[in-house]
Amino acid sequence: MVQFYLEGDRVSEFVAHLMKQKPVYAPHRKGQKSFSFEKTENAEDVVLDYVRTMHSIKKFFLPPKEDLLHFDLTKNESEPVEIPMSEAIFLGVHSYDLAAVGRLDYNFTVGSPEKNYLTRRQNAIFIGVSFEPDKYHFSGSVGIRPEDNTGCDIFLTKLFDGYVLEILTDKGRELMEGLSLPAHDAGKPATGHFHQHIFVPQAKLSEVMEHSYDNPVWEETAEKCVGCGTCNLVCPTCYCFNVEENVDITATKGSRERHWDGCMLRKFSEVAGGEVFRESLASRQRHRIFRKFKYISDQTGQPWCVGCGRCTTYCTAGISIVSIVNRLIGDYERAAVAPI
Amino acid sequence: MNLSELKTPAELEDLYHPVMAEIKEVKRLSAMETYYRVEMPDGEELGHKPGQFVELSIFGVGEAPFSISSSPTLKGSFELGVRRAGMLTDVLLRQQPGTKIGIRGPFGNGIDVEKFKGKDVLIVAGGIGLVPMRSMINYVIDNRDQFGKLIICYGSKSDQDLLFTDELAQWENDPAIDYHVTVDQGSDSWQGKTGVITTLIPGLDLDLANTVCCICGPPVMYRFVLLSLKSKGFADENIYMSLERRMKCGVGKCGHCQINHSYVCQDGPVYHYPDIKSMQEAL
Repeated sequence: MVQFYLEGDRVSEFVAHLMKQKPVYAPHRKGQKSFSFEKTENAEDVVLDYVRTMHSIKKFFLPPKEDLLHFDLTKNESEPVEIPMSEAIFLGVHSYDLAAVGRLDYNFTVGSPEKNYLTRRQNAIFIGVSFEPDKYHFSGSVGIRPEDNTGCDIFLTKLFDGYVLEILTDKGRELMEGLSLPAHDAGKPATGHFHQHIFVPQAKLSEVMEHSYDNPVWEETAEKCVGCGTCNLVCPTCYCFNVEENVDITATKGSRERHWDGCMLRKFSEVAGGEVFRESLASRQRHRIFRKFKYISDQTGQPWCVGCGRCTTYCTAGISIVSIVNRLIGDYERAAVAPI
Repeated sequence: MNLSELKTPAELEDLYHPVMAEIKEVKRLSAMETYYRVEMPDGEELGHKPGQFVELSIFGVGEAPFSISSSPTLKGSFELGVRRAGMLTDVLLRQQPGTKIGIRGPFGNGIDVEKFKGKDVLIVAGGIGLVPMRSMINYVIDNRDQFGKLIICYGSKSDQDLLFTDELAQWENDPAIDYHVTVDQGSDSWQGKTGVITTLIPGLDLDLANTVCCICGPPVMYRFVLLSLKSKGFADENIYMSLERRMKCGVGKCGHCQINHSYVCQDGPVYHYPDIKSMQEAL
């Protein structure tokens, strides 16, 4: 494989080269410590050396709000919504976020494949970039290293003063046509180490979860949790949604709109008549964690948590997913050694 | 997952777009429940199994899941029994025959009638649990030669709340049907039994080795009915139950109907009891 050297000073030139070909979505600085994937208008705005964005690139394939159909109340008729094909480049994607896209691909193709997601998703081009784990990343514990380039068309590995650029697919090769970069003959630096770890692999985690249904950690977590659903909203593999009607001000037209929903919210499991099937915050916390490490994982063998650390970073109550999981592991192992 | 193995998205069906079906008949069943007979466009059959549901919508109001109440043996249209419970059902209540409503589905697994064939069929229905169970009852009635005895236990809050009273009278008078009904609280004119639905079970004359049961009712009912059936000697593998959850999308995506690992709109709403015995959120 040929490796190129992308000098730090030439990153903007590289971005501009991409922008000439297709829309480029990349991390932009929003505040001192906050970053967001945005459509790039100026090549200089792109920040490849970032910690994590609040929302993953999920938002481009499963938008926070999306019209499912438009209706005309005067005629009692509806028409489908045109879904734009995304011929776009997603630049500066961390390995855990691309892994999360792979998880969503599964969710939206298994059973009934969903046109809306797959149309947006199908023509996406990914340019990954390695990352330096901060105190919340733990993707290494779920098998996702900072230098993983799975699913990427081009991958960038951070050097002291630039990037090693590897072309991984034909699409990637086409993108680079017309931009001349020097070959990179030296090696690649090792990426940094993680500060947070889950200490057992998924195969064992499933077993741990099996024995954790009534663990006191759910109640203890619920005492801190305010049930705001932020962890659901920032999770790159959460895909649950609700559907509501929007009628415009003329009361003649409107849309059926779906928007992100979260299993941490009380109304999520409410049925007509008011019955709520996960009434306690403890049961909702358990559902969230089991959704990431047990339910789909038992069918696919993969954890549905990609270790991005967002739910912990943005939790208003300071709840850590790593602490919960390690607590379950510890309790399970202690019980196995000395059955009570 | 390799996306290139899929059909191109343009060829995929739009999962969320309803067809416009026509309300042909509206009848009040009780103070809270209304009957609708609905015809699919171009005379098409809905093509459902007993125990399945549809997503019904009215533009500008909303969409929700409703159990199909008619048996597949009813041709040309299908029936719903709807309890007034929110905005959509309020608006639905004002609709007259001729109105077009959005329909998606049928969804869910439905009742596997093969498991009931050649057996005595016990139906335990509480309240509007009768609405989905009626799809199976009428299926058995219309295919009498394929099933053994039909035993129906129906419980309701009061005699005013009994649904499909014309049909209840037919079932009561049909010598081939062992029909039992009770109400929690009867009015002065109520001549029948009073008490919760479980009071009907001890007195049933059942051929335990050859009877398969299907239960549907309010959430609180299931575990008490199970206890009664078990003390009667009913085996777990002969018990099926239809569960209610919030099946918002119907296609296994939105997450609302999940019970532990199971999407009710995909694996249910009809479950074989041994499969959900260990699912702690199920009952």
